[in-house]
Amino acid sequence: MTEHTAIIHDIGYRHYEGPRLGRGNAARALALHSLRGVFGLGRTTRAKIIPFLLAAIMMLPAVVSIAVMALAKQSGIGYPSYAVAMQAVLAIFLASQAPYLVAPDLRYRVLPLYLSRPVTVLDYVGAKLAAMTAALFLLLAVPLTVMYVGELLVDLPGPPHTRDYIASVVSALLVALLLASIGLALASFTPRRGLGVASVIAFYLFTSAVSGVFFAVLSANGHEIAARWALLINPIFLVDSVQVALFGTAPSTGEGYPAGPWSALILLAVIALALTALVSRYRKAASS
Amino acid sequence: MTILATEGLTKRFPRVTALDRLSITVGTGVTGLVGANGAGKSTLIKILLGLLPATSGRAEVLGMDAATRGPEIRRVVGYMPEHECLPPDVSATEFVVHMAQMSGLPRTAARERAADILRHVGLHEERYRPIGGYSTGMRQRVKLAQALVHDPRLVFLDEPTNGLDPQGRDDMLALIRRVGTEFGISVLVTSHLLGELERVCDHVIVIDGGTLLRSSAIGEFTQATQAIAVEVEEGLEPLAARLAELGEAVAVQGRVLTVQVRSESTFDAVRDAVCDLDLNLVRLEQRRGRIEDVFKEPAA
Repeated sequence: MTEHTAIIHDIGYRHYEGPRLGRGNAARALALHSLRGVFGLGRTTRAKIIPFLLAAIMMLPAVVSIAVMALAKQSGIGYPSYAVAMQAVLAIFLASQAPYLVAPDLRYRVLPLYLSRPVTVLDYVGAKLAAMTAALFLLLAVPLTVMYVGELLVDLPGPPHTRDYIASVVSALLVALLLASIGLALASFTPRRGLGVASVIAFYLFTSAVSGVFFAVLSANGHEIAARWALLINPIFLVDSVQVALFGTAPSTGEGYPAGPWSALILLAVIALALTALVSRYRKAASS
Repeated sequence: MTILATEGLTKRFPRVTALDRLSITVGTGVTGLVGANGAGKSTLIKILLGLLPATSGRAEVLGMDAATRGPEIRRVVGYMPEHECLPPDVSATEFVVHMAQMSGLPRTAARERAADILRHVGLHEERYRPIGGYSTGMRQRVKLAQALVHDPRLVFLDEPTNGLDPQGRDDMLALIRRVGTEFGISVLVTSHLLGELERVCDHVIVIDGGTLLRSSAIGEFTQATQAIAVEVEEGLEPLAARLAELGEAVAVQGRVLTVQVRSESTFDAVRDAVCDLDLNLVRLEQRRGRIEDVFKEPAA
């Protein structure tokens, strides 16, 4: 008897019998997909240019710092002031990428497709927030970590600045969360990416200009305490002041910030406000 | 088997009542949901997906209460919206894979299913190109693919033939028929064009102003009226006059004469009248009652 070895390939419809994962998995997949997208991965070559260019610029001070440590045997740029020194780059990154995360889904009305699946509005917003926060955190934490590893390898005289490094990484997370909340909230109010970019960058320029002007005017008139409060208008200085309060690091600008837990409370309030705006924006978009 | 059911379902918006005590049941197979624009079709689908709370009444999908078990329903139901919903800068493959993951499929399974379903809806090489360059027909196929990629038990198709040319319409309707029969996925398809649903549906529900007008199997719709269509080269008017004289119920619709069949003798009368008047008969066919007629009849 001959064995029948021929196989009939059935190209008809096949049902899916495999596992169906829950909301959590879908939200994680969305966050990962969004994070990749922020850096242009899985998108066109043109979409990769700006994020990678900005990431490279973020690395420069770390590289220079390691060179200084290795050649001149001196400490380079301090960890706690890294975010303040690079704030313009962070702002440009946020302005260029936050609208990418939220605007197309609103503009091309993809949102109803997400919501016709198990993911909820909160899952969606949470995934987008996680992606933007993670991207900004990586942007800051990678150069900080490279610099710290460099410091350990160069082995400068004296103990390594481990405490400063930890403080800077924690505040990098705070900066990332604050900027991501504000950036996404601003960008979500317009389905147009260009307008989103403009509004985020305008927000940064406005707060930093207002904070600078108030600081200069108030300190010239001898209102030292009020001038210190004025600095907190700039979101980056706000997080720096929290870092000073939490870890006792040296302030990166001026004579210091208002003492006490106020800056931490303001930080939490601003994040809460931005997230409330973001969620209510999406609640409204979902019901229309 | 009942796939979905509503009972006294009412949805009031501040200015308008979209659904008014609607009670329907839908079984397996392809069901058409017919109604004019604004009849409440899209509102009904949103309530069934658990995305919109009803003002009063109940809705159940696959045995689950839409008001409380929305996420569970959405895992096993697909939805193709009426509006455009595709991002232009990604390819159909990437998009459908992503949407499969959003439905809970693991990444490798999502890839396989996306490739399969895109082939089934008839997208081949072009599926690797950005969606921005697609024709309306191709976009509708992508929209259908994302609704089917997670192998749902039931799929809601909201105006799937909208904006398609006649050929595209035929292709889409054939595809919908295949989804219902070959794929074994129950379909609820909406349209404001009644005629096209006759060709693909097992059952048709007609709603108007948020209330049920009629719900019955397609056979009952088309048996409702028995008529024959007669087309002659010239002399339609004399023929109509002759038949009317003989007591037949006739109506001229453009170049076609519709004659209500009273009994077997109607056919003889038409044949004799055409011969007597020496006309060239082009067409003589059984005319099925059209779903359109539902709107002319009083609500059943």
